[in-house]
Amino acid sequence: MEAKTRANDPALLILTSLSSGPKHGYALLQDIAGFARVQLGPGTLYGAIGRLETRGLIEALEPQGRTRPYGLTESGGDALAAMLEELRTIIDVGTSRLKRPARLTHAGASA
Amino acid sequence: MNERQARLLLRLYPRAWRARYGEELLALLTELGEDEPIAARMRRDVVRAGLGERLRAAGFGAGAPPAMRARSGALLVLCAWMLFAVAGARVQKFSEHWQGATPQSARGVPAVAFDVLEGAAVLGGVLVLAGVALALPRALAYIRSGGWRVVRRAVLRASALTAVAIGATAALAVWAQQIDTAQRNGASSAYSGAFVLCALLLVGALAAWTTVAVSLARGLELSSRVLRLEALLAGAICASMLAVTLATATWWGALGRVAPWVLHGAAGGSPSSSFALSLFLPSALMAVATCFAALGAITSLRAARLILK
Repeated sequence: MEAKTRANDPALLILTSLSSGPKHGYALLQDIAGFARVQLGPGTLYGAIGRLETRGLIEALEPQGRTRPYGLTESGGDALAAMLEELRTIIDVGTSRLKRPARLTHAGASA
Repeated sequence: MNERQARLLLRLYPRAWRARYGEELLALLTELGEDEPIAARMRRDVVRAGLGERLRAAGFGAGAPPAMRARSGALLVLCAWMLFAVAGARVQKFSEHWQGATPQSARGVPAVAFDVLEGAAVLGGVLVLAGVALALPRALAYIRSGGWRVVRRAVLRASALTAVAIGATAALAVWAQQIDTAQRNGASSAYSGAFVLCALLLVGALAAWTTVAVSLARGLELSSRVLRLEALLAGAICASMLAVTLATATWWGALGRVAPWVLHGAAGGSPSSSFALSLFLPSALMAVATCFAALGAITSLRAARLILK
């Protein structure tokens, strides 16, 4: 079975953050903490950046001192859209099931 | 975290990774540390990610090609075998003359376990040699076509260490001839120290040659057929290591029940504990090495299945 996208997947968070424009490491962490309330570790961030760059989903831009901003590539945009679609399916299924009355009320009894 | 500490943490990452992302990660750590001290959770994250990058660079990442994973898994089994051989040599030394100190009537289960131990150890050694022989033609071709430059330093280091280890062992053997049994068995601290030094040199030489084998194997272009065979051999070596480990535990347990004094070199029939630290440590090392071998064999065999497809 193919691995499914998780909402706190560092790759998804980085791609989402870069969809609003190029950012360097510190700005990425700040942005992700702001919109997802997830505090990525520095090692996790650069590990994911390395893999995304290898896959051609992001690209490094001109260095600014010791830091280097990253931007979303076209295939990165496509990959982000596919990930979001995958999440949307889960959200839709979960939302529609919540609307049904068959939910447990207490101690395993069905309402 | 100051720059020096951050640079120290960066050493955990592979060199190629450091060359590409090291300065950026360093800049980020510096920036994060400007507002408040970097939390322990962040430091752990950098350490964990660094070790993960090392594993990925060694071919254990999910994204690595199956051929690379098959080879890396087999190499992990080889390294685990080296560790296992060191621990096994200590168990072998410990178990010398156990039959003579154990009454004939009590030898049943320990003798069977010991036979299994010896048989599986020999089988494992033969399988390791078969794995080396299988890759040898490609290794020689690689050395002739420029690979020598890659492994030259490692080969020279291993050769020098081996020469020193052999020389030291020969000198120790001459010394052993000139002292009595009690001195050889611990009464002479100078001899004991020299013995430990020799053992460390031999372990170092073995480790150095394993490093040569790993450096060589990383540069080889092995065919799918050879990789599949190497993966199967890795699985068989792991099985033999498991058999040796279990047989050692069985031998120890059975001997501890019927003749525990043997485990302490005490006089026959004297009350003794069935626990012996000098047997526990190498046995634990053998178990750890077997776990690493299992990890390598599983990685290699899974990747080999993908190569088959």
